Amino acid sequence: MSLGEMFVSGLSAVWGGGTMFLMVIVAIVLGTIFGALPGVSATMAVALGLTFTYTMGPVPAIVFLTAIYCSSITGGSITAILFKIPGVPSSAPTTFDGYPMAQRGEAGKALGVALLASAIGGLFSALVMFLLSSPLSKAALAFSNGDMFAITFLGLSILVVLDTDHILTTIISGLLGLLLACIGQDPMAGVARLTFGQSNLLSGMEMIPVLIGLFAITEVLKQTNPKKRLSADDGVGNKGKVNTKMPSFKELWSIKWTLLRCSVVGCVVGILPGAGATIASFMCYTMENKLSKYPEKFGTGIIDGIAASEAANNSATGGAMVPLLCLGIPGGNAAAVMASALALKGVQMGPRLLTVQPEFLSATFITMIVTNIVMVIVAIGIAKVFAQILAVPYYYLGPIILLLATIGSFSEGNFVGVTVMVIAGILGIVVKYMHLNSAAIVLGLVLGGMCEKYFSQAFQKAHIVTTQMGFGDYAAKVFGGLFGTPIGAVVMTACILLLLSPVYMPMIKKARAKK
Amino acid sequence: MFELLCNILLFVFLGFTYFTHVLEAKVPKSYMKNPNVLHPSVWPKAIIILLLICIAINIYKIIKKNKGNPEFTFAAFGKNSLAFLKSKMFLGMVILIVASLILEPLGFVVTATLIMFSYGMLLGEKKWWRLAIISVVLAILLHIAFSGLLGVNLPRGTVDFLRSFSLFLENLV
Repeated sequence: MSLGEMFVSGLSAVWGGGTMFLMVIVAIVLGTIFGALPGVSATMAVALGLTFTYTMGPVPAIVFLTAIYCSSITGGSITAILFKIPGVPSSAPTTFDGYPMAQRGEAGKALGVALLASAIGGLFSALVMFLLSSPLSKAALAFSNGDMFAITFLGLSILVVLDTDHILTTIISGLLGLLLACIGQDPMAGVARLTFGQSNLLSGMEMIPVLIGLFAITEVLKQTNPKKRLSADDGVGNKGKVNTKMPSFKELWSIKWTLLRCSVVGCVVGILPGAGATIASFMCYTMENKLSKYPEKFGTGIIDGIAASEAANNSATGGAMVPLLCLGIPGGNAAAVMASALALKGVQMGPRLLTVQPEFLSATFITMIVTNIVMVIVAIGIAKVFAQILAVPYYYLGPIILLLATIGSFSEGNFVGVTVMVIAGILGIVVKYMHLNSAAIVLGLVLGGMCEKYFSQAFQKAHIVTTQMGFGDYAAKVFGGLFGTPIGAVVMTACILLLLSPVYMPMIKKARAKK
Repeated sequence: MFELLCNILLFVFLGFTYFTHVLEAKVPKSYMKNPNVLHPSVWPKAIIILLLICIAINIYKIIKKNKGNPEFTFAAFGKNSLAFLKSKMFLGMVILIVASLILEPLGFVVTATLIMFSYGMLLGEKKWWRLAIISVVLAILLHIAFSGLLGVNLPRGTVDFLRSFSLFLENLV
């Protein structure tokens, strides 16, 4: 399929006789509201959005969820600017400059910059995703099982470096996720493992209820003493009103390099499995602060800070879709939820999918384009209404999230799903008190099956042995399977270096300090 | 102390799992005879061993970090546990567990109404009558929207009149 044909196929998937386009608009409005509501992360928004996709086909489902995903990241900036509460964690740096601007009566300008920066970041990453995914997935078809294991394992290894304060607990979390993924029948021999005699567990851990439990139920349980009501003002004392004066073209032109730099960096960070919008926005805010001619003004309410954060976090959304579409490896939690939703419909993401069914790529691309454009119009149009919508007290919002989560977990007419969701939600609290990393658990759980499958296949193909194996043969097979190709060798070496970084980095720092 | 106890429990549980529940059935003989395939127990056992090592180190670190901490005693843990049992978070958990148990017999409409009302009260809504009305209306609207419009099968309940009521709602659209 040529690029032109893919473009047309994507347009027809998103238009869908008008009905699908209407659903995309609904998804954008829902996503923006979900994202704007404090306590509802982008991942939770996608998990709650799943509820609406059970009767859809695979392509409309990915269209709907992508629209929710992109718009929820943008929605987070609205509360960040108006209330100094980031709707999603990736909007936290937006509060640094957005809220001071709102306090000066420039909420409209701050919102305008946030929305336009989000749109530019989102459009840039959609284009990168479109141009990169197809050739990358074709190249990935030539990857050996060992290479695929190494790439999948890289996603888990990166987590160790991202949370340097809790390296050990992050490793434990990732391993727990991998172990949870082992529950059920072994992928090669079909032998039941870790089921404790429960026939319900034979088909493995139910991914969607676990994700909804960890991301929605745990969050609602945590918020038992919420702020009763949020209120915005226009900076001159008018409660519940938002000044919507937009930024001028001159002001926008002055931040062109910030937008470009942060879109590029955000997209690259998004592509890295395990990283994501939050890391991208913090990284870009710091980067722009360092590169700025007036770093002292950052944090006092300048548009550069908002543009850096919002371009980066939206650009990361497109980036996160690249490994998902090309390799079947989710770039973050929201992408993991999407992968699970599609798996539920019998679609296995990976390099073969884009070659056989390129409409997934084209539909995702067009959705991101449409979402990032329509989102600006929708959000500007209802900016004033938002101040009222967001005043919904948490004692209504919390239970509504619980109801949507229950519907989402019951999707397959299975009561066990609801029980699993509740258990996962409660365990999410235990995980929090144990200082474990729930994102690492989820990534381990999602990548676990793939990791084991590729590892087993790589082991099987490497260094054929004809008699019973000794330890030497075993080691040789493992080594041959994982380091047998140049890609596998390079990526596995990178994984080992990442995993050992907590050991050697302090030594390097000490040596430098001595010098 | 809670963190330490959880880590110890996890360690013991994983040790027990390693020896008793990694494989729940016998591996086919033909599979066992092939030296080129990975035994089904190797991957989970390797993960459990790594977990046991990491958790052991973590337990050591927790004990070392909390040496001399007056809160790091069983007495303090008991006191905190009692406080937790009276907390809103615990009550929230109880509401969810009860809801998951009554969902099958009472169906979505009643369960959703009860979740909405009880959780709303727990989170601090004072006007119970307003919350009650909103709970009933929202539960009915959600049932109609998802079952009737979106075609998602929501539980109707096993009690006759509740089942009939759910069917009546679904037939409205």
